[in-house]
Amino acid sequence: MSTLELPARINASPRPAVRTRREVPDLLIAGVLTALVLVLLAWNIDGFPTASDDEGTYLAQAWAVQEGRGLAHYTYWYDHPPLGWIQLAALAWLPAWLAPGLITVAAGRLVMLPVQAATLLLVYLVGRRSGLPKWGAALALLTLGLSPLFLTMGRQIYLDSFAVAWMLGAVALALSTRRHLWHYAAAGAATAIAILSKETILLVLPAVLLALWQNSARTSTRPWALGSYVTGLVLVGGFYPLYAVLRGELFPGADHVSLIGAWQFQLMSRDGSGSVFDASSGTNALVHSWLYYDRILLIGGLLAIVPALFARRLRPIGVAAAILTAVALRPGGYMPAMYVVQVLPFFALALAGVITTAVTRLEPRRDRRRAVAVAVVAVAALSFVVPRWYAGAERALTAADNAPYEQAAAYLSTRIPDPAGTTVVVDDVLWLDCVRAGYQPDRVIWFYKLDLDSEVAARLPGGWRDVDYLVSSPALRQDPSGLPTVGALLAHSTVVAEFGSSDGRIEIRKVDKENTP
Amino acid sequence: MILVSVILFVFAAVTLWWTMHAWRTPETLAATRFAAPDGEQHLTFSLLVPARHEQAVLERTVRRLLESTHEGFEIIIIVGHDDPETAAVARRVASTSPGRILVVTDHNEVKNKPRALNTALPYARGDVVGVFDAEDEVHPELLEHVDHAFRATGADVVQGGVQLINFHSSWYSLHNCLEYFFWFRSRLHLHADKGFIPLGGNTVFVRTDVLREANGWDGTCLAEDCDLGVRLSSRGAKVVVAYDSTIVTREETPHSLGAMLKQRTRWHQGFLQVLRKGEWRRLPTFGQRMLARYTLTGPFLQAFAGLAIPLGIAVALVADLPVGVALITFLPVLPMAANLMFQVIGLRDFGIQYGLRIRAQDYTRLVLGLFPFGVVLSAAALRAIWREYTGRHNWELTAHVGAHLSKAAA
Repeated sequence: MSTLELPARINASPRPAVRTRREVPDLLIAGVLTALVLVLLAWNIDGFPTASDDEGTYLAQAWAVQEGRGLAHYTYWYDHPPLGWIQLAALAWLPAWLAPGLITVAAGRLVMLPVQAATLLLVYLVGRRSGLPKWGAALALLTLGLSPLFLTMGRQIYLDSFAVAWMLGAVALALSTRRHLWHYAAAGAATAIAILSKETILLVLPAVLLALWQNSARTSTRPWALGSYVTGLVLVGGFYPLYAVLRGELFPGADHVSLIGAWQFQLMSRDGSGSVFDASSGTNALVHSWLYYDRILLIGGLLAIVPALFARRLRPIGVAAAILTAVALRPGGYMPAMYVVQVLPFFALALAGVITTAVTRLEPRRDRRRAVAVAVVAVAALSFVVPRWYAGAERALTAADNAPYEQAAAYLSTRIPDPAGTTVVVDDVLWLDCVRAGYQPDRVIWFYKLDLDSEVAARLPGGWRDVDYLVSSPALRQDPSGLPTVGALLAHSTVVAEFGSSDGRIEIRKVDKENTP
Repeated sequence: MILVSVILFVFAAVTLWWTMHAWRTPETLAATRFAAPDGEQHLTFSLLVPARHEQAVLERTVRRLLESTHEGFEIIIIVGHDDPETAAVARRVASTSPGRILVVTDHNEVKNKPRALNTALPYARGDVVGVFDAEDEVHPELLEHVDHAFRATGADVVQGGVQLINFHSSWYSLHNCLEYFFWFRSRLHLHADKGFIPLGGNTVFVRTDVLREANGWDGTCLAEDCDLGVRLSSRGAKVVVAYDSTIVTREETPHSLGAMLKQRTRWHQGFLQVLRKGEWRRLPTFGQRMLARYTLTGPFLQAFAGLAIPLGIAVALVADLPVGVALITFLPVLPMAANLMFQVIGLRDFGIQYGLRIRAQDYTRLVLGLFPFGVVLSAAALRAIWREYTGRHNWELTAHVGAHLSKAAA
């Protein structure tokens, strides 16, 4: 024993000697609510929303990791840090076990369920550690979990979901109630894993630092706490550049990809998607598509930012939401389609935090008038929110948007003779389905790579004539002018099967090699 | 390669975990301090000061001890019969304060610190025996704090903090100072918590009856302090460690690299002897025995790690390993780099606590010197093993010139 005199624990909540009423434990509240949201997420996860090309890409890259083929199914060029799909690969046993019959992308979405469960539980925990009462933290959890935007994008296989879960973990650890040195180090490591899952989450780093700074205020161990955090962050994060160094791919060179070269591209050369305030820009269209799914969380969260910045314990959340918003609104710049996935949990926490703080300040228990006022506002708010969110949830639970993909996958696996000897150009959603149906991985070509990857072009000495089938999907038809080989294939092929209708249709096209000059 | 990397990683991570023990939470840090004394004095102290060829520093040390605010203490200076210069200084100081200071002459043929202490033990009249080295700078209020610590905790042993101060003297003294800082500030508290503690060589206080029951010190051991701690631990003695930068005993680093190498060799060899004696096997719990085994073999693991980790990195960078394997060889670098980070923070904290100005060049020296210092420690560990197995057990004394005193005076 070295304890001479134990000081009273500084932050320990005083434990009432006699409990007047049995309290519901945190774990039960968070667990039940999370289970409820998970049911909403899982129901019809294969039918809604439409499989996106990015989902297929990440799954294919995870498949490459699983099969030991390196970090991607094509040359890995440091476009994103690989930890996101490495985690995806680590969880790949789940869909195979739960739903072996689904098409790859739909089944792959099941992997997101544990990730979203972690996010929801961590939102509750961060809420509690930001000083919210149990009902406030539960409100934050439900604000996120019931938002139609979350029910849509939370189902999809996005690296951002992994990143934001780890970042919430980092915030929760930075707010450690025991202020343990190793919790801070773990917070640093979690931050690094988040950034290596999806680099854009780096924007939230100041918020984690603020949480750490606030939590270690007036303690004797603050320099050590900051040191632990930085150590965890740098050491875990350092493995990524180290990987590049060991492969000799750190600096740009003539004949190889490189980490720094990829950064230069991402930060400087990449075309912006325009300003959000420009009605014709891609960013504007993207924001409108988010608002289409859910205005309440996006606008409510936006309004909650400023009050959240003024409440000390909500400030880290406010800072995170503010930075994410400011970056989204900046002119120029490129905005990824799944950017909002990182925003939602912080908006939900900010909104719930501000509502909770306001209600607590009003003290509805003090007199009847205040209680009535709070109840009236709550009923009005609910009557506004519930119908809109109900419609969103109903769509998520019933739509069957992926039928064309399912039919196309079935066609490709049963109706094409000799798959092993066939070269087929597809989008990334169907890439892995083709490989699993018996096509050679080298002869299933992601359309995007035909014109952009010299290694792929070298495999087809005859150009488009070496291709037997083309699967035309909305993603492929989006920008034919930028991809000449894809354009040629579209011009020199005829439709042999068609699924779905209008813009969303998927065509199986046979390439006409004979009757062209 | 992978296995070695993983073992090194685990070893380095555990060491780092323990080194940071005191800073885990604000509460643990607060608990490592001496509690403020209550102003009462109940115990009497016999302070043993063995001195050998230390006439240059002895007088100052004893005068400083005499300034103690505690009333009930005596000083017993132990000098060798073959060391007239130190004996003369001792007698002169004793004559200025008769009744307080007793000079005992050690007539053992082979001289070393434990034998000197054993010579003095029969003369001790106090309730508590305290040990100081002849070059120590002891704070006047230390005894009052220790008195209170004994009474407040019912301890059998109180270990106070010792700190090397002259970090500016040489490149290795900086690392030496920080080593003490982390050891006394943090690691020893963990050992006290777990009930297995290798005691320090001075500013250690033991109840006289407990010490006599344990038959004093082991005259043949090169690390008599560690040995005493192990024996008292295995007898279930309650040990309390308390650290307070204001009343810590100040010491100096060895004045040359060679002297430090000798001192380290002696400690390491002493650890080996304690390990071979096997007293630690009597510790009551399995966890304590494992901790003992780990602590006593620690210097050698450290020596091994200090050499193997850079070697592994070199291999990973030069040889054409698969990327996955190469990444794993970097695993042990994580705790090592973390250690460096905490050393930097520790240096800052050290500067604040002792009112020393730490400049940018000191941080640079810290970072640059970390590896050479590791090499010195490794060399000492290898030397200790070689000496132990060739049967050379003699005592290589560290000489003292008083570098920390001149600094304190200035």
